[in-house]
Amino acid sequence: MTQTHAPQNGTATFFDVCADWHKAAENLETFNRLLHTDARIAQTPKELIWTLNKAKLYHYVPVVPEEKRHKIPLFLVFAIMNRPYVLDLRPGHSFVEYMLEQGYDIYLLDWGIPGPEDKNLKFDDYVLEYLPRALRKFKTVSGCEQFSVLGWCLGALISTMYAALRPNDGIENLILLTAPLDFADKEQCGFSRWSSHPSFNADRIVQTFGNVPGEMIDAGAKMLKPVDNYIGSYLALWDNIENPRTVESWHAMNTWVRDIIPMAGGAYQQLINEFYKENRLMEGTLTLRGEHVDLKNLTANVFNVIADADHITPPCQSERVMDLIGSHDKELFRVHGGHIGIMAGRGAEKNTWPHLDAWLGPRSN
Amino acid sequence: MSENSKDTGFFDPTAMFKNMRDTGMGAWSKMMIDMVGTESYAKAQGEILDAWLSNSAPFRKVMESATTQTLANLNMPSRDDITRLAERLTNIEMKLDDLDAKIDGLCAAGTKVAATKKKAKGSEEDDK
Repeated sequence: MTQTHAPQNGTATFFDVCADWHKAAENLETFNRLLHTDARIAQTPKELIWTLNKAKLYHYVPVVPEEKRHKIPLFLVFAIMNRPYVLDLRPGHSFVEYMLEQGYDIYLLDWGIPGPEDKNLKFDDYVLEYLPRALRKFKTVSGCEQFSVLGWCLGALISTMYAALRPNDGIENLILLTAPLDFADKEQCGFSRWSSHPSFNADRIVQTFGNVPGEMIDAGAKMLKPVDNYIGSYLALWDNIENPRTVESWHAMNTWVRDIIPMAGGAYQQLINEFYKENRLMEGTLTLRGEHVDLKNLTANVFNVIADADHITPPCQSERVMDLIGSHDKELFRVHGGHIGIMAGRGAEKNTWPHLDAWLGPRSN
Repeated sequence: MSENSKDTGFFDPTAMFKNMRDTGMGAWSKMMIDMVGTESYAKAQGEILDAWLSNSAPFRKVMESATTQTLANLNMPSRDDITRLAERLTNIEMKLDDLDAKIDGLCAAGTKVAATKKKAKGSEEDDK
């Protein structure tokens, strides 16, 4: 907000008023720039080691000498309908940067942006075709047979299914972040309620568009908290427009939020019909390419992180899995924050990242 | 501004307006969250979306066939042609990835054999 000078004799001088107007104009210009430009994000050095169709596998350049590094590398799997660089948002506030400094060898799987030719891609393909191939290359490059996986949002769903289907593939540790796995409760989440309603026809959406447009997914997510997302966020920026730290953080996050991508039609249909409507994973009736996904077979060590104010994946969607998996070493961890905020928000450096490191570190040697 | 008014004790209408705005926004936000979480909203949203998709389908079909026909008349590939080509490229990429896996496997096996031979040679020399 603009700050006025202390009025002299109770009256602001003409020059004070001019200065205020000038400042307000400057702030308006900054506001406009932040809305329409991209911040410098995803700056941590990395090398591309594998590609397949749109998928890319990156290896982040380690910053800790090899002898001080953890022996078990960390493999990051993000959701399929957003860009994964939210994990490496901006220098000085990047989960990847933080974990590299803690001595992890980090790999990131970017699913890429599906084109019209990918409209039939399903979770079957992501879990049993793309992920195994990426992991094969990752094992060759890292020279490690054992590894940890961190899956976030739908990335956590994919990782969970993979860990249950291929328990002997080398997954030692599985970190789940805001994992949408259990869709039994339709009351707690707007998405569940909307998509489970008989009038919601995912098949027709896919039939019409092929891939589901990013704008549609984005609007769906924003409509869960319409006032906060369409108005509140911009008011918060205006209120803090003279605070460089807040502005920088908002700009980086807005750059990520604006970078919307479509979701493969087949995967979307499956997500709505088999997960949201029929809750097949939890009911034990899910099959991928004819293979039954049994959560009891998941035996890796599990750290399940839940955001208590998550309106996209409410806690009830991630809790019950702990009773169904076969792991002996499993922990449920609650963080105060929202779906993205717990990992990319201002409090992440204190409230989330150190806990992930504290759990993973002793299990990575 | 509000800080300034606290310092000087002057009435600050901006701060008052901001407080009113925040209070109003909070209530409005809660009301909207409750509203979009209702069964009737879910029903209305699903029906509107479905009606829009159904009603626009014939127009889209006409547009698509007109575009395809125009491209065919101009001897240019259609969207479907490009899509099929991209699918074939992906299949080729899969095959290349399989080959890459085999080469990586051979390299790893070669390295293992070389290491074993080196070790055996070393122990033979030690015996001598």
